[in-house]
Amino acid sequence: MATEESERFDQVDWNDLSRSGRFDLSINSLGMLLTTLPLALLGVYDWQFTGRRTPTFEFIGLDRGLETIDFFFIFTLLLAFWYLVVPLYQNPRMTRYYWKEFKRNRPAVVSLGWLAIVFVGGLFGPLIMDPPQQELLIAYQPPVFTSVVDTTPATCVGEVVSGQCQGTWQHPLGTTQGGKDVFTMIVYGMTISMQIAFITTTIVAVIGVTFGTLSAYAGGWVDEVMMRFVDIILSFPTFLMFLLILYIYGGGLGMFIVVFSLFAWGGMARYVRSKSLSISEEEFIKASRISGASTYQVIRGHVVPNAASSIITNLTLLIPGFLLFEAQLAFLGIGDSAVPSWGQLISAGRSDLSFAPWIVLAPGIVLFLTILAFNFLGDALLDALNPEAEAENA
Amino acid sequence: MADDQSLLEVEDLTTTFSTDNGTLTAVDGVDFSVDTGETVCIVGESGSGKTVATESVTKIIKTPPGQIEGTVRYKGRDLLSLPESELRQVRGNEIAHIFQNPQEAMNHCYTVGWQITEALQIHQDVSDDEARAKAVDLLDRVGIANASARFDDYPHEFSGGQKQRVMIAMALVGDPDLLIADEPTTALDVTVQAQILRLLDDLQDEFDMGILFVTHDLGVVAEIADRIVVMYAGKVMERGDVLDIFDHPGHPYTQQLLECLPEFGATGGGIPGTLPDPHDPPDGCRFAPRCEYAEEACRTGEQPAEIEVALDQHVSCVHYGPGGNPSIVRSEGLGPGDESGSVGGDSEVGPADD
Amino acid sequence: MGFGRYLSARVLWAGVVSLIIVTVTFLMLAAAPNPAVRQAATQAALQGGDPAAAAERARELRGLNEPLHVRYFDFIQSVYTLDWGWSVSRSQPVMEAVTQALYYTAQYSIPWTILTIILGPLVGVYSAANMYSWKDHAATGFAFFGYAIPNFFFGIILLLVFGVWLEWIPITYNTGVPVFSVENAIQLAIPVFVLVTGSIGAVMRVSRNESAEFQNADFMKTAKAKGVSPLRAYAYHVMRPTLVPLSTTLVGQLLALFLGASLLVEVVFAIPGLGRLTYEALIAQDTNLVLGTTLFFTFVAVIGNLIEDLVFTVLDPRISYDDR
Repeated sequence: MATEESERFDQVDWNDLSRSGRFDLSINSLGMLLTTLPLALLGVYDWQFTGRRTPTFEFIGLDRGLETIDFFFIFTLLLAFWYLVVPLYQNPRMTRYYWKEFKRNRPAVVSLGWLAIVFVGGLFGPLIMDPPQQELLIAYQPPVFTSVVDTTPATCVGEVVSGQCQGTWQHPLGTTQGGKDVFTMIVYGMTISMQIAFITTTIVAVIGVTFGTLSAYAGGWVDEVMMRFVDIILSFPTFLMFLLILYIYGGGLGMFIVVFSLFAWGGMARYVRSKSLSISEEEFIKASRISGASTYQVIRGHVVPNAASSIITNLTLLIPGFLLFEAQLAFLGIGDSAVPSWGQLISAGRSDLSFAPWIVLAPGIVLFLTILAFNFLGDALLDALNPEAEAENA
Repeated sequence: MADDQSLLEVEDLTTTFSTDNGTLTAVDGVDFSVDTGETVCIVGESGSGKTVATESVTKIIKTPPGQIEGTVRYKGRDLLSLPESELRQVRGNEIAHIFQNPQEAMNHCYTVGWQITEALQIHQDVSDDEARAKAVDLLDRVGIANASARFDDYPHEFSGGQKQRVMIAMALVGDPDLLIADEPTTALDVTVQAQILRLLDDLQDEFDMGILFVTHDLGVVAEIADRIVVMYAGKVMERGDVLDIFDHPGHPYTQQLLECLPEFGATGGGIPGTLPDPHDPPDGCRFAPRCEYAEEACRTGEQPAEIEVALDQHVSCVHYGPGGNPSIVRSEGLGPGDESGSVGGDSEVGPADD
Repeated sequence: MGFGRYLSARVLWAGVVSLIIVTVTFLMLAAAPNPAVRQAATQAALQGGDPAAAAERARELRGLNEPLHVRYFDFIQSVYTLDWGWSVSRSQPVMEAVTQALYYTAQYSIPWTILTIILGPLVGVYSAANMYSWKDHAATGFAFFGYAIPNFFFGIILLLVFGVWLEWIPITYNTGVPVFSVENAIQLAIPVFVLVTGSIGAVMRVSRNESAEFQNADFMKTAKAKGVSPLRAYAYHVMRPTLVPLSTTLVGQLLALFLGASLLVEVVFAIPGLGRLTYEALIAQDTNLVLGTTLFFTFVAVIGNLIEDLVFTVLDPRISYDDR
């Protein structure tokens, strides 16, 4: 078991990466910097020079606007690309090893496929599909391959066979009471879900890792106070606080994300702290300390890389909770009903459930599958990271 | 001791495990026996199948994936063919086990008293008070000071040596006739080790038990064994009286094991090479790949049949068989014996640096 | 440190935590515009009066003109003396509203908690004992299904299927039936099922994974060598140590669901319990009632965490009270 240790990528390869970071920028940081710059410029331009209602890209004739949240979303995507995807490519050996471990878990591979669909759909769907339009005339169209009594939809888009309105490919998942296409709304909902997933986890990771490592390295009473603070954060009745805050202060998507993150980082901080403490006990940290590495270098070079895989796993397992919270709050009618999330769609369709169940079922099942996929993925990552766990049973 | 029937007779014991990588044969056709009042040591390197062999006696290994074949006769009864419920009556009652790591071998959530009385009350219909009295008595007997107070302590409140004493007390509740001790002193430091060995020795007389003792430590063997069984890669290489074997080790493997003892002028480093892959053992003698006397005949066929080289000393080596020449092996031997080999002479085995 | 001192230290800490949460809640509400004041101002403006003066009067009426710290101490005092004020929307004292709602919440919470506590570990250990068999896979599949399906969505679907289509269960909750009656059992069966499905998954997974470790432990071999039957070995030697890590998951899971999903489930099934009370108080902008229910849930959370810590310490004999 122990001999496998050197195979673990997060201990070997990340060290090179950080070592170069001490003297000059690694290719990852350079790439991050180079790609963030235009984004930041665009952000400043959008903020300062275009009107509130003017779409960001009007200057090139595109009628698409970028909200603040979109800028953050793109930023987190860049982060994920340069510090997650590129390192995987840079270290093909460990990527292969990881993939081999991961591949054995078939549900997880399927889950990854599904999440890839949601990701790509959320990223590019809104770019190629027009936003869902209200068209009362075609309200309550049934999904394709199904049919409802002719009287349910205002006018039937498909054929009417013996008093039954048939679904069409024009609206593969049917339409809502407002005649909006459910499929389009689900694709737009993917964007929202991905924004929640990426931005919230980034904030949680930043706060959690910073707080945890600081606490571990400060030690003494500072550590004690910081960990007591985490205790308090974890004791809050989270969902109720969401309700209260979002109700009092009103909640757009941005507010949702901020509130979710503020109550979710406690566990991460606690984990990173204990990991830092145990890692700093290990020999190679002592060695690098003796050789004169600063605390920052130790954290940057050893603690974060060593904990990286576990942090990513923990974050993966946090995401379904966020998606669920959003859906629950949306269902309760708290939050901005203009945000086209899955939860809003479920909430909107509830009153028509008995005769138009697809409005609730379609987004509900998509939400269920996404939460399931994140859980399977997290579980598989846990297994892939702990080859010991399985070896014990052999 | 000299019953015409041994307390425990094990014949052709074979234990296999089905794993993802195929079938693993941990114990392969092993014979040995234990008489009442006698201590038999199974000796061998780690991974030679000693533990599996002893745990197969009362079938306490997991089946499946394990599978046990052969015969295990205890007082004339074939244990392997007994139904599980009858076997449970034997375990802990007539045949008791103690294990290598007392720390892990006790459940950390229960007091030691609970764990001892559990063993007692499974087999005997005694009241809680009686059970407690007996357990305290046993704790006292195995040398736990202030036993009645310590009855309610948890395992983590005992030191390593004390834990092993508690394990021994637990093993003694049924007044067993056979005690199987699987490296009971390996995890302990040397002084404690000696105390535990002495305790076992006393208890053996007191309870008139046969002891089947597993160890890789020949120093311990020299101290306690009446007879020894040398195992290598699931096979018995040699068995016989401890004095005979220490004086005239027949099998090259036994000779090399003995050379590792400091008393025999060990140069350190042990035996070069490693145990063969249990999924795919070599043809012929299992030890042949590491044996300096190995010939072509050693590398083909099955493990050679056991030959009685002296009274009650059996060796499984080609060189003793028909057409073999024992002097090839014996002349280089360690024992003074009838040959002119020098005691503690230069080791033939160089230190291994792998 | 003995258990007594550990216990008092923990209880004291729970008090501190609840005080802090109460304070944060207070500050949050203090910083928000009071809907009653705004309403008074709007009212005045509509009737041609002076909105500013009306707002001022409304503030005075509610004691909002007092300095923050005075209001804070009044608030804290009333919180801990259980004088939680008057609910405008329900025209009854907040305390009374909460107690009444609790009566309905308890009716499904108690069976749900009991079922989770009993079934979760049992199925989990059973699953571990038959690891990688179809039984294990089925249990694992159910566990994943349970915690992936949003409770409110699951509730809606079951209500649609069993209430609307099959008409086996009533669609609206009937508060008139006696607690211990078949009718009540029928109308609570689906909510309890939904909640158990949600909470049991994590409990099963933890029991399965933790007990998998214990069933291969050396002490299981000792037990077998002592002649302990497999059933007894699982019941005592595997279940007992599994309870230690499980205790942390169990309480946390139940609490999280109690504070979140139960609200949704009550809304979906129209059960007039605490969750719905909270929700309706928010919609009706009934500040006192919102605070009251929030405080109640806060106390439940704090006490739950306290119990979790204590149970964990009591269950694992190896933990010395000095460590925590």
